[in-house]
Amino acid sequence: MMTKSARRGLRFGKPALYLFALPATLLFVVFIAYPILWVAGQSLFTRTAEGQMVFAGFANYGAVLSDPAFWIVVRNMVIWGLITIPVQMVIGGLLAYFIERHTYRLRSFFRTMFFLPVVTSVSVISLVWVQIYAPYYGIAQEYLKLFGITMSFSPIGDPATAIYALILVNIWQWTGFSMLMYIAGIANLPSEVLDAARIDGARGFRLAYDVVVPMLAPATKSLLLLGIIGTLQTFPIVHLMTGGGPNRASEVFGTYIFKQSFVLGDTGSGATLSVIVLLVALVLSLVQIVFFGAQLSPAKRKPE
Amino acid sequence: MTGYARARIRSLVIHAVLFAVLALWMIPQVYMLSIGLRAPAQAFDAALITWPVTFDNFITVIRDNPLARIFLNSMIVTVATVAIVVAASSLIAFACAVLRLKGSLVLYATLLTTLMVPLASLVLPLAILLKTFGWVNTYIGLILPYAALGVPFAMVVLKAFMEDSPAELFEAARVDGCNAWQIYWHVALPLVRPALVFVAIWQFIVTWNEFFLALIILTESEMKTLTIIPMQYSGLYMANPGALFAVLTLIALPLILLYVVVQRAFVRGLTAGAVKG
Repeated sequence: MMTKSARRGLRFGKPALYLFALPATLLFVVFIAYPILWVAGQSLFTRTAEGQMVFAGFANYGAVLSDPAFWIVVRNMVIWGLITIPVQMVIGGLLAYFIERHTYRLRSFFRTMFFLPVVTSVSVISLVWVQIYAPYYGIAQEYLKLFGITMSFSPIGDPATAIYALILVNIWQWTGFSMLMYIAGIANLPSEVLDAARIDGARGFRLAYDVVVPMLAPATKSLLLLGIIGTLQTFPIVHLMTGGGPNRASEVFGTYIFKQSFVLGDTGSGATLSVIVLLVALVLSLVQIVFFGAQLSPAKRKPE
Repeated sequence: MTGYARARIRSLVIHAVLFAVLALWMIPQVYMLSIGLRAPAQAFDAALITWPVTFDNFITVIRDNPLARIFLNSMIVTVATVAIVVAASSLIAFACAVLRLKGSLVLYATLLTTLMVPLASLVLPLAILLKTFGWVNTYIGLILPYAALGVPFAMVVLKAFMEDSPAELFEAARVDGCNAWQIYWHVALPLVRPALVFVAIWQFIVTWNEFFLALIILTESEMKTLTIIPMQYSGLYMANPGALFAVLTLIALPLILLYVVVQRAFVRGLTAGAVKG
């Protein structure tokens, strides 16, 4: 009943409506839509040897898609998303479950401490982790020695490990966020359902797995969406720690676009990459909306 | 009694495990502080914590660098951005959720898509745009793009909260003769206050920590914000990591303290949405 009347909404004149939408729309048009359109336009031009910009149709797209570097970046992004999103969910979910259901006096303490990496600037975090990973004087090698592993160079300097070393930093930084989303979800679980399940004999692992996990689906969906956004947005941490190297081993869309347009001055190719990422983002958004609905909250919103 | 004892042991084990994981999680922060507290002779020791500690690095870097000015820059940019984001996003969320602005789904898809566009894509056109406006090296040149990038997420959150609010309240206000602005100001905003607090805190964190746009837009040292300092100083203090890590600690500290203070309100804002549901 409540939701039905909400759906109908209040009717005011058009001018009021547009006035309310105006500031946000203006910001959006000037600082997001216009740059995107500019980039889309640039993707159709190429720079000649004399520095002239000439119309090139879709030539840039052919060039970008046939460049092996592009596919390395795609592979890196897939690895990034496939590891960071589920790992952050699982660790964050476990932390949330144990903190919410088994701690009392220390609850706020744990919630806060695990969230601190999220509020720490990436420009600080990257330098700290470079130091941690450093051979000879970093502490990672000291700890690895305990397991009989000798590290003669930094894991971010080795093409075989660079991306995973960065993924570890990302997981460390963002797991607290997943934890908090699940904490919000758990806090909103109806206690009658949990009590009923416990009376039915579900406890411990079974209670968590059969009852809590399905009921946290809204938080999981939100984290999936935010995880995909975060993956496509991955940039500062890579830019600061490896610059996408060595030899593109940790290159992501952000660093690749930055290099093409800023370092090499190849705006056409940088813009083309941007448009391709935009299209990927559009497809992923639509998939999200079709399968999961338009939602960004840790708990089920509408009472059914 | 045995049930009680078992529960007590389980609680102890769970606390022990949580503390162990937390100890692991805290290594980078502890390491940062620890290097900041080292004398030059120990700066390159491969140990998490060394002894004795000294505050010399902190004194040196505060004395030698205009950190107060840089801190002020960050504060101005962040507070202004938060204010604009909260205002603009709550206004448009109100239009969508309560006044039923048409085309919400298209809007939603557009917002989601733009949330996913790497900032690196937008930086070149933004830089050109800001140059045209004469806004390079100005606060406003950073504030408005930050606000534009922050509004979509804030709006999605606030819109969901407003849709969950009982519509009877809005209708009653209407019947009582309130105009749209009065309903927004006196009914909608108080109703979603926990969400406004959440959005404001999150925007504060994101803006304070933003690095890339600040790096591109702010080239004059007078205007620099805190996050672009570490990269600049990492060359300066190459031989003395103690000083560098003292700077890093000083940069990380304000936001950590702020979060500790506001965390309760932040979590409440995140959980408040579905309490009714």
